[in-house]
Parts: sequence; structure tokens; C-alpha cells
Amino acid sequence: MSTLPEPRHRVSEQAVRMWRMTAWLSTAVSLIVIAGLYLFLPWWSWWAWVIAALVLIADVAYALLSPCLRYRVHRWEVTDEAVYARTGWLNVEVAIAPLSRVQTVDVEQGAIMRLYGLASVTVTTASSAGSISIDGLDAATAREVVAHLTTVTAASEGDAT
Amino acid sequence: MSDWQRLDPRVLLIGPVEAARQLVVPAVIAMVGIGSQQPRALLLLTPLFVIGAVVLGVIPWLTTRFRIEDERLLVHTGLLNRKQLTAPIERVRSVDLEATVLHRLLSLRKVLVGTGVDDGRIELDSLSVAQAQDLRERLLGSRPAAVPATAEDGLDASSVGLHESTALPAAPAPVVLARLDPRWARFAPFSLARLAVVAGLVGAIWQFDLPVEETGQDVWNWAVQASIWLVGIGLALGLISLWCVGSALSYLVSWWDLRLAREHGNLTLTRGLFTTTSTTVEEDRIRGVELQEPVLLRMVRGAELKSLVTGLDEGVYPVLPQCPVAFARDVGSQVLDDGGAGLSAPLAQHGRFARRRGHVRAQWMTTGWLLPLAVAGVLVDVIGAGWAVVAVLAGAGLGVLVGEMSYAHLGHALTGTHLVVGRGALTRIRTVLARRGVIGWTMRQSLFQRRHDLVTLTATTAAGNEFVALRDVDRAIAVALIREVSPTLGRWDLAAAVSSRR
Repeated sequence: MSTLPEPRHRVSEQAVRMWRMTAWLSTAVSLIVIAGLYLFLPWWSWWAWVIAALVLIADVAYALLSPCLRYRVHRWEVTDEAVYARTGWLNVEVAIAPLSRVQTVDVEQGAIMRLYGLASVTVTTASSAGSISIDGLDAATAREVVAHLTTVTAASEGDAT
Repeated sequence: MSDWQRLDPRVLLIGPVEAARQLVVPAVIAMVGIGSQQPRALLLLTPLFVIGAVVLGVIPWLTTRFRIEDERLLVHTGLLNRKQLTAPIERVRSVDLEATVLHRLLSLRKVLVGTGVDDGRIELDSLSVAQAQDLRERLLGSRPAAVPATAEDGLDASSVGLHESTALPAAPAPVVLARLDPRWARFAPFSLARLAVVAGLVGAIWQFDLPVEETGQDVWNWAVQASIWLVGIGLALGLISLWCVGSALSYLVSWWDLRLAREHGNLTLTRGLFTTTSTTVEEDRIRGVELQEPVLLRMVRGAELKSLVTGLDEGVYPVLPQCPVAFARDVGSQVLDDGGAGLSAPLAQHGRFARRRGHVRAQWMTTGWLLPLAVAGVLVDVIGAGWAVVAVLAGAGLGVLVGEMSYAHLGHALTGTHLVVGRGALTRIRTVLARRGVIGWTMRQSLFQRRHDLVTLTATTAAGNEFVALRDVDRAIAVALIREVSPTLGRWDLAAAVSSRR
């Protein structure tokens, strides 16, 4: 069974580490919230334990599995004609934006991303449904991509609608 | 038009009236509050209110100036907060002329200039009709005329052709594409979008009907005595006839004197009985049309036509009200200028898996809501088991109908110039989008679609709702459509990567 056409590049391997770290962080937050509820709520019955256990199991499963899965399914590619990005595991999505229609190119590097030397690139077109973002790019690659995109899109004429 | 121009002096008559209308509620509250304690203060307050309204109404005329200079529209306005608005003429995408009854009595027009910026348009309230039309001409109509000027300046041999083509008579006769046929008002009751308007109207009238207490009691006694059924039927008939008359009237009021015309590269729509609106859009900005046939309207062979425009506040811009579907198709084809191909092309259907998915989707209501509700109802003994079964079966039957309709409406076609997408369950929607208006794609494949290798293909665009989604299409067909519409993207499998591979 064939899947959707595949863009060529994977994101940075550092991204797996970052995703894993943030997932564990959110598990820790869940744990703190549950502990807080347990300590301060006047009542606590068996079904509260069940809910707490389910939340924690889901969190841990997410932290264990999702970083690798995300790394496997996230793909991107920038050619002279277009930007492509694939995301999603159960629901796969491929987004394509021709460079002649690109309006803005943004790079974002949050604090955690900077820790891992990563950046995300967002490309928008005149359609709000058509923006593409590539998360977990190596910062140097992101800069290269943006430089390439800005040279190509600056050369195209018209207002890209 | 190099000198500064002002608003029309007649606005001095309208301004105070509109200012008074805005002031009246706070003023009345203040007067009641103060007047109840110091009645004499009213003598002072009333003239103050009148003077305030006059001053506020006069300020716009005193402070607003506009001119066209260096291919830009400059508007200066405001007394304390001076604002200077600048819009390059080439960025002007629409010019609307609006007139309330008051404006029309004084032959004034409010001018709204849309520049494609999402928040707000430049407003000039108000100019004389001639001044307004002249301004519109300069903002939209003058574009072809601007080309020879630059060609002469540039002395470029290659632009001579341009020069000749644009030196044609300045104002070719406008082509009228549609006028209102008052008989179309018969479609109005079948469009439920108007229900809110009429309901609001009825509600407003109801509030004036004051002696509710006594008459209400009498009516109730009478109703209990008479047969409930008879009263119910009478009430229903009354409401329906009220609805028919009300919706038809509201239709005629908003669409009276409809005129859709094509005039040097612009499409102008004029309409309205009391408040007239005239919207002019550059044809270059139109990326396609959408033909909508809601289920009730479809039963009487009616349809609505919208156009998909870039750079307007709302990208979906009504072209025709409810009218015969054949007429809507005809006008739509003229707007598209594709010889009718887009609106009459047979749609390729998406096959039995798409049909099955349509049915499954349509049964969500039954399995997700109706069935649990019925089971719960039987368990707590609210309804009998027989009725529960009947309700669930009826829901399932309705679902089958809706599923079948959604499959029948689903499909796609590709004409020489346009991508055609059919969709909708209760409302049949056909979107005809110019190939050049497609500015990107997404293909989405859910877990359930993967089994049959179907995808939901979305063409993104700057016009209309900013995307057109084609549901449950075979992946190979989707890829073929993308390659056909955007040929430059076809190389994605073998594309030379530009950035370093990690």
C-alpha cells in the first residue's frame, strides 16, 4: 500500500531529544497537578485513582513513543519550485506551497529550541489555509532554507494571489 | 485631480442628523437622570444636545480632504487625531458606493475603498453622485489609461502594442449581465438564511403588541375550548403565509433594481430599494464562482451565485440572489468567461469507497446521538421501546438519504481554465476555481481513508473561503490533479534538493 509522496529530508535528530524532553516535562507537570489535587481535595475516591492512572499512562506512552514516531513521519523538502512538508502519523498530511505564491518566511527559535540548536520555519501564502511550518530543523539548515526561500520568492512577481 | 477635494457640502445636512442619532440614547438617559432632579436644567441641556450634534456633524466636512497624487489616493481626516491615509491606486481592489434613504434624497453617496488590507476600508462619507462616480472611475477605471502614459514616458518600442490596445475608446458600453426579475421573489421563502431577518422583524412587531395579558388569557381560553388541532393547523398556516410574504418582501427590498454589469475590466453590482449599494470589483481579482443549491431551493430549481474574490473583506461576494438555476449558471459562466464549461462540466464521481464513507459519516448522528439517547430513554422509562425503535429507524433512514446526497454531490472536473469541485450534503455546492487562483495544496489522509488510498485534497487560494476541499478522492487522481493544475510542482519526487541533507 503506497502512502503519500514523500518529501526527502528528515528533521534534525536533535529534535527527537527535544520532543522527548518536553514530553517528560509535561508528564512531570501532570504528576504535580495530580499530587496537588490528591493533597488538597477534601475527597478522593477510587475512580479518581483510575483517571489519574490513565492520564499518567497516556503521558508516559506519549513520551516514550511520540518523539521517534514524529521523527519518522516528519519530512520536508524545499526545491526551486515549492516547499513541501509531511506531518502526522495516523492522519498524514502533505502540504505544498509553490514558491511563487509564498508571502512571508518566518524563523522561530524558542528558548528550548535554542538549547538544542533547533529552529522552526513557517512559510505563509495569501491563504490562511495554506501556511506550512517545519518544526525541529537544525538552526543552520533553517537559516539556509530561509536564505534560499527569500532569494527565490523575491524574484517572483505579482502579489501572489 | 491634483487639488485637495472636500466632501460634498450637502453632508452638512446629513452629518448632524446622524450625529444626533448616535447621541440620542446617552442624551436621553442623561436628560432623564438630570431632569428628574433639576427640571430647569433641561432648558439648558436640549440646546446643548442640538449644538453638539451640529458640531459633531460638521467636523467631518471641515477636516476631511482627499486627493489623487502620484498614483496614490491620499485622505486626511480627523480633528484631534489627525489621520493621513494613503492607498496606492494599483492596490485598490474594490470601490463601493452606498446610500441610505437620506443620502439618496440629497443625491449623495458614501464611498468605501477596499485595498485588500483585512481591517477596514477607507471611507468617504459623503460625496455627490458625480464626484463619487468620478472617484471610482479614477480608482478603478483609469488603470488601462495609465499604461499609455508610462509607455510614452519610457519610449519603449515594445510597449507600443500596449499603447494601441489601451488607446481604444475610453468607455466601452457596459455589458449588463443581469437585472432583477421581481418574479424571483417566489424563491425567497425557500431560503432559510432570511429566516433570521424576518424573525427579528416579527419579534420587533410583537413587542408593540402590548395588551398581552388580557388578550392572551382570552385566546388561551378560546384555544382550549376549540379543537387543539384546528388551532395548531391555523397557527402553522398563518406562520407559513407570514413567512412567505415577509421573506418575499425582504428579498425585494434588498435586491430591488439589481444590476450586474461589466465595465472596463470591472464588475459592478448595484442593488437595494431603500439603501442602495453599488459594489465594484476588478475582474482581475475574481478567482471563480460558487453555485449553491440548498435543499429547499433545489426542489424549486433555484440557486444562489457567489463569486470568489481576493482582497475583499469577505472573500465570498454575492453575485445573484435566489434565482432560477439555469439563469445563475448562465450568469456564472459569463463571469467566469469560460463558455459555460465550468458550471456545466459533468463531475467525475469518487467511487464506492467514497460513497461508503459518505454513508458512515451521515450515520454519525444516528449512532452517536440518537441510539444512545433512545437506549437511555427506554432505560429510564421516558419513552416506550416501540417509539425508540421508530425514532432510531427514522434517523437511520434520514442518514441514508443524506449519505446518498453527499455522494451524489461529491465530484470533480478539470476544464481548460478552472478546477471544478462538487461537494455538500443538504446543500449542493459547485465551486469553480481558476487554475491560476490555486496557490497551494494539502493532501490529508486519515487512518480510515488509508485503507482505500483515498485522500482529502485541498486547494488553497487567496479568494473566497481561502480553501476548496475535495473529499475522498483516490490518491493517484489527487496527485494527477495537482500535477495538471500546478505543472511546476510535478518534479517533487526527483527534485534537486537545495539545502544540505542531514
